[in-house]
Amino acid sequence: MKIALVFFAVMIPAFAQQKFDFKSLDRLGANAKESSNITLEGDTLKLATSFLGDDKSPFKSLTGVYVRAYEFAKPGQYKESDLDPVRAYIKSLQWSKIVDVKESGETSEIYLQALPNNRLGGLAIVAAEAKEVTVVFISGNIAISDIGKLSGNLGIPDMTVLHGSSKADAQKKD
Amino acid sequence: MNLEDDLRRALRPEAAPAGFAGRVVAKTRVIPIWRRPVVWSIAAGLAVAAVVPGVYEYRRHERGIEARDQLLLALSITRVRLEQTKEKIEQDTRHKL
Repeated sequence: MKIALVFFAVMIPAFAQQKFDFKSLDRLGANAKESSNITLEGDTLKLATSFLGDDKSPFKSLTGVYVRAYEFAKPGQYKESDLDPVRAYIKSLQWSKIVDVKESGETSEIYLQALPNNRLGGLAIVAAEAKEVTVVFISGNIAISDIGKLSGNLGIPDMTVLHGSSKADAQKKD
Repeated sequence: MNLEDDLRRALRPEAAPAGFAGRVVAKTRVIPIWRRPVVWSIAAGLAVAAVVPGVYEYRRHERGIEARDQLLLALSITRVRLEQTKEKIEQDTRHKL
Protein backbone atom coordinates (compact mmCIF):
# COMPACT_ATOMS: atom_id res chain seq x y z
CA MET A 1 0.00 0.00 0.00
CA LYS A 2 2.79 2.39 0.99
CA ILE A 3 4.66 1.57 -2.19
CA ALA A 4 1.56 2.38 -4.25
CA LEU A 5 1.17 5.74 -2.47
CA VAL A 6 4.82 6.60 -3.04
CA PHE A 7 4.45 5.60 -6.69
CA PHE A 8 1.43 7.88 -7.15
CA ALA A 9 3.13 10.71 -5.25
CA VAL A 10 6.04 10.51 -7.67
CA MET A 11 4.08 9.87 -10.84
CA ILE A 12 1.30 12.47 -10.50
CA PRO A 13 3.67 15.48 -10.78
CA ALA A 14 5.55 13.66 -13.53
CA PHE A 15 2.35 13.24 -15.55
CA ALA A 16 1.32 16.80 -14.78
CA GLN A 17 4.58 18.05 -16.30
CA GLN A 18 4.23 16.07 -19.48
CA LYS A 19 4.76 18.07 -22.59
CA PHE A 20 1.87 20.26 -23.62
CA ASP A 21 0.58 19.99 -27.15
CA PHE A 22 0.59 23.60 -28.29
CA LYS A 23 -1.15 22.61 -31.49
CA SER A 24 -4.27 22.13 -29.34
CA LEU A 25 -4.34 25.95 -29.10
CA ASP A 26 -4.72 26.30 -32.85
CA ARG A 27 -8.51 26.08 -32.52
CA LEU A 28 -8.36 29.45 -30.75
CA GLY A 29 -7.57 30.98 -34.10
CA ALA A 30 -10.31 29.27 -36.08
CA ASN A 31 -12.05 32.63 -36.66
CA ALA A 32 -8.98 34.83 -36.61
CA LYS A 33 -8.40 37.37 -39.34
CA GLU A 34 -4.66 37.30 -38.67
CA SER A 35 -2.64 34.63 -36.96
CA SER A 36 0.89 33.60 -36.09
CA ASN A 37 1.50 29.98 -35.20
CA ILE A 38 5.11 29.34 -34.34
CA THR A 39 6.50 26.09 -33.01
CA LEU A 40 10.28 25.82 -32.74
CA GLU A 41 11.92 22.98 -30.87
CA GLY A 42 14.71 20.44 -31.19
CA ASP A 43 16.87 20.57 -34.29
CA THR A 44 14.76 23.28 -35.95
CA LEU A 45 15.32 25.61 -33.01
CA LYS A 46 19.05 24.83 -32.97
CA LEU A 47 19.16 25.56 -36.68
CA ALA A 48 17.28 28.83 -36.15
CA THR A 49 19.63 30.03 -33.40
CA SER A 50 22.66 29.03 -35.45
CA PHE A 51 21.39 31.35 -38.19
CA LEU A 52 21.20 34.31 -35.81
CA GLY A 53 24.83 34.84 -36.73
CA ASP A 54 26.04 35.39 -33.19
CA ASP A 55 27.94 32.56 -31.53
CA LYS A 56 27.33 34.09 -28.12
CA SER A 57 23.62 34.58 -28.69
CA PRO A 58 21.71 34.42 -25.39
CA PHE A 59 19.09 32.37 -27.19
CA LYS A 60 21.39 29.41 -27.91
CA SER A 61 20.17 27.58 -24.81
CA LEU A 62 16.47 27.78 -25.63
CA THR A 63 14.77 24.39 -25.84
CA GLY A 64 11.34 25.39 -27.08
CA VAL A 65 9.60 28.45 -28.50
CA TYR A 66 5.85 28.32 -28.98
CA VAL A 67 3.75 31.30 -30.00
CA ARG A 68 0.10 31.50 -30.87
CA ALA A 69 -1.08 35.04 -31.63
CA TYR A 70 -4.51 35.71 -33.09
CA GLU A 71 -6.32 38.88 -34.03
CA PHE A 72 -10.07 38.86 -34.62
CA ALA A 73 -12.34 41.16 -36.60
CA LYS A 74 -14.84 41.50 -33.77
CA PRO A 75 -15.15 40.53 -30.11
CA GLY A 76 -16.41 37.12 -29.00
CA GLN A 77 -14.75 35.08 -31.73
CA TYR A 78 -12.79 32.82 -29.41
CA LYS A 79 -13.64 30.98 -26.24
CA GLU A 80 -11.79 32.11 -23.13
CA SER A 81 -12.11 28.53 -21.90
CA ASP A 82 -9.82 27.38 -24.72
CA LEU A 83 -7.00 28.98 -22.73
CA ASP A 84 -7.71 26.85 -19.65
CA PRO A 85 -5.53 23.87 -20.70
CA VAL A 86 -2.44 26.02 -21.25
CA ARG A 87 -3.05 27.86 -17.98
CA ALA A 88 -3.40 24.51 -16.20
CA TYR A 89 -0.19 23.28 -17.83
CA ILE A 90 1.78 26.35 -16.75
CA LYS A 91 0.31 25.99 -13.27
CA SER A 92 1.48 22.36 -13.17
CA LEU A 93 5.02 23.56 -13.90
CA GLN A 94 4.85 25.65 -10.71
CA TRP A 95 6.39 28.69 -12.38
CA SER A 96 6.06 32.03 -10.61
CA LYS A 97 3.23 34.24 -11.79
CA ILE A 98 4.90 37.64 -11.76
CA VAL A 99 2.14 39.60 -13.51
CA ASP A 100 -1.62 39.13 -13.36
CA VAL A 101 -3.49 42.09 -14.77
CA LYS A 102 -7.25 41.92 -15.18
CA GLU A 103 -9.25 44.91 -16.39
CA SER A 104 -12.44 45.34 -18.41
CA GLY A 105 -12.42 41.89 -19.97
CA GLU A 106 -8.70 41.88 -20.64
CA THR A 107 -6.19 39.67 -18.91
CA SER A 108 -2.41 39.58 -19.01
CA GLU A 109 -0.46 36.96 -17.19
CA ILE A 110 3.30 36.50 -17.15
CA TYR A 111 4.97 33.47 -15.63
CA LEU A 112 8.66 32.81 -15.05
CA GLN A 113 10.67 29.86 -13.93
CA ALA A 114 13.36 31.39 -11.76
CA LEU A 115 16.71 29.64 -11.57
CA PRO A 116 19.76 30.42 -9.42
CA ASN A 117 22.30 33.04 -10.57
CA ASN A 118 19.72 35.42 -12.06
CA ARG A 119 18.73 32.99 -14.76
CA LEU A 120 15.38 31.83 -16.05
CA GLY A 121 14.27 28.36 -17.09
CA GLY A 122 11.34 29.69 -19.01
CA LEU A 123 8.91 32.49 -19.71
CA ALA A 124 5.21 32.27 -20.50
CA ILE A 125 2.71 34.95 -21.45
CA VAL A 126 -1.04 34.49 -21.69
CA ALA A 127 -2.78 37.63 -22.87
CA ALA A 128 -6.44 37.76 -23.79
CA GLU A 129 -8.27 40.80 -25.08
CA ALA A 130 -11.65 41.17 -26.77
CA LYS A 131 -10.17 40.99 -30.26
CA GLU A 132 -6.74 39.57 -29.60
CA VAL A 133 -5.27 36.59 -27.87
CA THR A 134 -1.60 35.70 -27.45
CA VAL A 135 0.10 32.74 -25.87
CA VAL A 136 3.89 32.69 -25.65
CA PHE A 137 5.81 29.84 -24.09
CA ILE A 138 9.60 29.90 -24.14
CA SER A 139 11.61 27.24 -22.36
CA GLY A 140 15.34 27.05 -21.89
CA ASN A 141 18.07 28.63 -19.87
CA ILE A 142 18.34 32.39 -20.35
CA ALA A 143 19.78 35.19 -18.24
CA ILE A 144 17.25 37.64 -16.80
CA SER A 145 19.38 40.46 -18.21
CA ASP A 146 18.94 38.97 -21.69
CA ILE A 147 15.18 39.44 -21.49
CA GLY A 148 15.95 43.12 -22.04
CA LYS A 149 17.68 42.17 -25.28
CA LEU A 150 14.30 41.19 -26.67
CA SER A 151 13.82 44.87 -27.33
CA GLY A 152 15.88 46.29 -30.09
CA ASN A 153 19.09 44.30 -29.93
CA LEU A 154 20.12 41.23 -31.88
CA GLY A 155 18.42 42.50 -34.97
CA ILE A 156 14.99 41.53 -33.67
CA PRO A 157 12.73 43.63 -35.83
CA ASP A 158 9.63 45.39 -34.72
CA MET A 159 6.56 43.19 -35.01
CA THR A 160 4.71 45.81 -37.03
CA VAL A 161 7.39 45.53 -39.71
CA LEU A 162 7.31 41.75 -39.69
CA HIS A 163 3.56 41.47 -39.40
CA GLY A 164 2.77 41.75 -43.07
CA SER A 165 5.49 39.59 -44.60
CA SER A 166 6.25 36.88 -42.11
CA LYS A 167 2.82 36.27 -40.70
CA ALA A 168 1.60 34.38 -43.70
CA ASP A 169 4.85 32.40 -43.83
CA ALA A 170 4.66 31.54 -40.18
CA GLN A 171 1.11 30.29 -40.56
CA LYS A 172 1.92 28.34 -43.68
CA LYS A 173 4.78 26.49 -41.99
CA ASP A 174 2.85 25.37 -39.00
CA MET B 1 38.12 -47.25 -97.20
CA ASN B 2 41.49 -46.13 -96.18
CA LEU B 3 42.89 -43.56 -93.91
CA GLU B 4 43.50 -41.14 -96.73
CA ASP B 5 39.78 -41.08 -97.69
CA ASP B 6 38.72 -40.63 -94.07
CA LEU B 7 41.03 -37.68 -93.65
CA ARG B 8 39.91 -36.09 -96.88
CA ARG B 9 36.28 -36.40 -95.84
CA ALA B 10 36.90 -35.02 -92.36
CA LEU B 11 38.93 -32.10 -93.59
CA ARG B 12 36.82 -31.06 -96.54
CA PRO B 13 35.76 -27.44 -96.48
CA GLU B 14 32.26 -26.76 -95.20
CA ALA B 15 30.17 -23.61 -95.55
CA ALA B 16 29.87 -21.59 -92.31
CA PRO B 17 26.38 -21.36 -90.77
CA ALA B 18 24.38 -18.31 -91.70
CA GLY B 19 25.36 -15.18 -89.75
CA PHE B 20 28.57 -16.74 -88.45
CA ALA B 21 30.79 -14.05 -89.89
CA GLY B 22 28.61 -11.29 -88.48
CA ARG B 23 28.69 -12.82 -85.02
CA VAL B 24 32.47 -13.15 -85.09
CA VAL B 25 32.86 -9.52 -86.15
CA ALA B 26 30.43 -8.35 -83.45
CA LYS B 27 32.35 -10.20 -80.76
CA THR B 28 35.70 -8.87 -81.80
CA ARG B 29 34.58 -5.23 -82.28
CA VAL B 30 36.04 -2.82 -79.67
CA ILE B 31 33.25 -0.77 -77.96
CA PRO B 32 34.31 2.87 -77.40
CA ILE B 33 34.79 3.64 -73.70
CA TRP B 34 32.02 6.23 -73.65
CA ARG B 35 29.50 3.64 -74.82
CA ARG B 36 30.22 1.12 -72.09
CA PRO B 37 27.39 0.80 -69.52
CA VAL B 38 29.82 0.56 -66.64
CA VAL B 39 31.30 3.94 -67.60
CA TRP B 40 27.84 5.48 -67.67
CA SER B 41 27.06 3.99 -64.26
CA ILE B 42 30.25 5.42 -62.75
CA ALA B 43 29.58 8.85 -64.32
CA ALA B 44 26.02 8.87 -63.00
CA GLY B 45 27.23 7.87 -59.55
CA LEU B 46 29.84 10.64 -59.51
CA ALA B 47 27.30 13.20 -60.69
CA VAL B 48 24.86 12.21 -57.94
CA ALA B 49 27.66 12.25 -55.35
CA ALA B 50 28.62 15.76 -56.46
CA VAL B 51 25.08 17.18 -56.56
CA VAL B 52 23.48 15.63 -53.45
CA PRO B 53 25.62 17.46 -50.82
CA GLY B 54 25.02 20.74 -52.64
CA VAL B 55 21.25 20.22 -52.70
CA TYR B 56 21.28 19.12 -49.05
CA GLU B 57 23.27 22.18 -48.01
CA TYR B 58 20.96 24.47 -50.01
CA ARG B 59 17.87 22.94 -48.41
CA ARG B 60 19.45 23.20 -44.95
CA HIS B 61 20.23 26.86 -45.56
CA GLU B 62 16.66 27.53 -46.72
CA ARG B 63 15.24 25.78 -43.66
CA GLY B 64 17.64 27.69 -41.41
CA ILE B 65 16.60 31.06 -42.80
CA GLU B 66 12.92 30.10 -42.47
CA ALA B 67 13.41 28.91 -38.86
CA ARG B 68 15.45 32.03 -37.97
CA ASP B 69 12.68 34.29 -39.32
CA GLN B 70 10.15 32.39 -37.22
CA LEU B 71 12.32 32.72 -34.13
CA LEU B 72 12.72 36.46 -34.71
CA LEU B 73 8.97 36.83 -35.14
CA ALA B 74 8.34 34.84 -31.95
CA LEU B 75 10.81 36.98 -29.98
CA SER B 76 9.30 40.10 -31.48
CA ILE B 77 5.77 39.11 -30.43
CA THR B 78 7.12 38.32 -26.95
CA ARG B 79 8.81 41.71 -26.75
CA VAL B 80 5.66 43.56 -27.82
CA ARG B 81 3.53 41.62 -25.33
CA LEU B 82 5.96 42.33 -22.48
CA GLU B 83 5.98 46.03 -23.37
CA GLN B 84 2.16 46.18 -23.59
CA THR B 85 1.84 44.50 -20.19
CA LYS B 86 4.42 46.88 -18.72
CA GLU B 87 2.43 49.84 -20.08
CA LYS B 88 -0.79 48.48 -18.58
CA ILE B 89 0.84 48.12 -15.18
CA GLU B 90 2.25 51.65 -15.39
CA GLN B 91 -1.17 53.04 -16.38
CA ASP B 92 -2.82 51.20 -13.47
CA THR B 93 -0.20 52.49 -11.08
CA ARG B 94 -0.66 56.09 -12.29
CA HIS B 95 -4.44 55.68 -11.94
CA LYS B 96 -4.19 54.48 -8.39
CA LEU B 97 -1.84 57.31 -7.45
